[in-house]
Amino acid sequence: MKKQLLLSALCATIAFGADVLPVEKRTFEQSKFIPDISLILDASYVYRDADRDEVAHFEVPGVAHGLLGSHSHDGDSHSSYNANEGFNLNYGELVLSSSVDPYFTMDGVFHLSEHGFEIEEAYFTTTALGNGLRVKGGKFNSNFGYLNEQHHHTWDFADMPLVYESFLGMHGINEIGAQIQWTAPTPFYLMVGGEVLQGENEQMFGNSSIGADKEDPTIKYEDAPSLFIGYIKTSFDIADTTVFAGLSYAQGASRIDHSADESPHAFSGDSSLYGADLVVKHYFDSYSSLKWQSEYLYRDMDGKQYNFDPSDLTSVLSSPDMIKKQAGFYTQLVYAYDRSWKVGARYDSIFQNDVEANGNDMNKPTDLDKYSAMIEYNTSEFARFRLQYNRNNALFNEDGEQQQIDTVILQANISIGAHAAHSF
Amino acid sequence: MYRFFLLLLLPLTLLAHMSVAVSYPYIGAITKSIGAEHIDTVVLARGNWDPHFVVPRPSLIAKVRNADALIMNGAQLEIGWLPPLINRAGNPKTQSNAKSFLNLAQQVTLLDKPLNVDRSGGDVHPDGNPHFHLNPHNILILAKSIKEFLISLDNEHADIYEKNFSAFKSDWTKKLKVWKEKMRTNKGKKVIQFHDNLAYFNSAYGLESIGTIEPLPGIPPSSRHTLALIKLIKEQKPGYILHDVYHSTKTAQYIADKTGIKIVLMPHDIGALDTVEDLTSLFDYLTSAIQ
Repeated sequence: MKKQLLLSALCATIAFGADVLPVEKRTFEQSKFIPDISLILDASYVYRDADRDEVAHFEVPGVAHGLLGSHSHDGDSHSSYNANEGFNLNYGELVLSSSVDPYFTMDGVFHLSEHGFEIEEAYFTTTALGNGLRVKGGKFNSNFGYLNEQHHHTWDFADMPLVYESFLGMHGINEIGAQIQWTAPTPFYLMVGGEVLQGENEQMFGNSSIGADKEDPTIKYEDAPSLFIGYIKTSFDIADTTVFAGLSYAQGASRIDHSADESPHAFSGDSSLYGADLVVKHYFDSYSSLKWQSEYLYRDMDGKQYNFDPSDLTSVLSSPDMIKKQAGFYTQLVYAYDRSWKVGARYDSIFQNDVEANGNDMNKPTDLDKYSAMIEYNTSEFARFRLQYNRNNALFNEDGEQQQIDTVILQANISIGAHAAHSF
Repeated sequence: MYRFFLLLLLPLTLLAHMSVAVSYPYIGAITKSIGAEHIDTVVLARGNWDPHFVVPRPSLIAKVRNADALIMNGAQLEIGWLPPLINRAGNPKTQSNAKSFLNLAQQVTLLDKPLNVDRSGGDVHPDGNPHFHLNPHNILILAKSIKEFLISLDNEHADIYEKNFSAFKSDWTKKLKVWKEKMRTNKGKKVIQFHDNLAYFNSAYGLESIGTIEPLPGIPPSSRHTLALIKLIKEQKPGYILHDVYHSTKTAQYIADKTGIKIVLMPHDIGALDTVEDLTSLFDYLTSAIQ
């Protein structure tokens, strides 16, 4: 003890006397505890064959609106990735991660845009539970399906699959809550997991009261948390081919507020979302592979739609019983030629669109699809340039006419800092 | 805290068969030599693929999840693939702070530790060159630390591990003499590589690596660099391009056509070539390749 005191006193004297000591000799130096840091930039140049003012009002009938371009909603300005024609700064993503103590790790993923700072993810994960158990808490991307958990910069295309974006919005299921996962002690991969989430997805789930009169809202809130998710995933290898498959289920309250729209309305009810995903990846060698990835989503929303009087939002013009049964999928094939070059094609479809109001079929269109193709060049693991072409047949204008929108996206995705792990 | 760990390790000593997951085949071979029938060795990566680019297949999560211990190469060779497997496995025994986790890079002296770490210099390894197992003298050091590691986890069979290590050591020492004799005439020979993964082999036998086909670590060949390399080969007349098995030999072939230099495929691990079935045949092959 005495010796230690003497030693630190000596260190302090030296620190005072010397100009700058090397890091390892500074008494209270903490720089070794700096977490792993990386910064990922995503920028794009977009050419879109459509009128910029009209595009923000296009909708996928009965499913979603405002998928392309920027639009205002609830007083916030939302924009999807690659929203504007010309140049886009999609985000600067700051990632911090480190061990907390022998029992936890913590990760933070922050989306920095020109307009603000957004906590994309911030969660702690247990490391010491054992028996294949892992618990996560905080804000995170749900492990529902295959794509939902992955960040934008690890996707094989510059935009989200149509069915995901239409059903769940551009962030997917990104919520505050808790997750538990258990990996089974089997020779092949088998994992089951469950999540309890706050349930505030803008397209499909929500629990807040809705109504212009705050004292006596038209739609009463639902107790939170209000979104519950479960899934099972398995994977096995057949020689140089890996098969990965999963089934997911989400159930939650839906309070969806569109009272700020031109024809103000809101939805109140309960929703279920079913997902099935299958990925088959074949490796030719260390760098070359062929990956076939598909996901199917089906949703069942059951509730009431409230149509408000545009001149007086406290009065409800009509409130039909609303049932939506909708389904879609995407399937994509990506060939990695070597470490530098990749090419891919994707087909998107929403093929079931049954919307019933008071038992009457609303005859919503079902021929909603989208075709995409991409080619990318990676100068190293840390920099990627991608050229993508989309033909989108899923959007309708305000007169109910189906649109055919061609988009060309040139995307740059650049990262610095800690080495990101390769994903499966 | 400490007790907590002991408690976690307790079941290991009760089990007859301890399962040890290892990152690369060469580690598996050493572990098998020492652990023999008392250890189940599970190898995660394949010997014929690039050790830097192992795909973190979900089936590997299951292997890490079921392991009682983990041995890795270290020096950031596994940085791109092992951390996500460990994170997802939910197994405290394979966390890097566990007593049942062994990082081999900490047991040997690393070559070429960069003074300056910056990615403009390519995908550099900040701790130094991680391919240290290709110096056959290092294999003995690694075998000794694996022996001590196994004893620390399974003291009951300490005698057996000691005995197996002694046998391995005397066998390996004999072979070291044979390989030294075979390589005697190669001392001072100049060679070209694709990536500097033979640094330790070269230093063990006095080969001089004067250039690499990739302009910088992890950066694919460029035509400008290839032309400069051709010029260098014409000036310095190195005898061989020592090429790994997982990169395409296209650029090497082009250089060979222009300069007449010989291309020799050099396996980096067990399974890299069909004939390389164990540690001995790996070094038998490497020491016979340049004759």
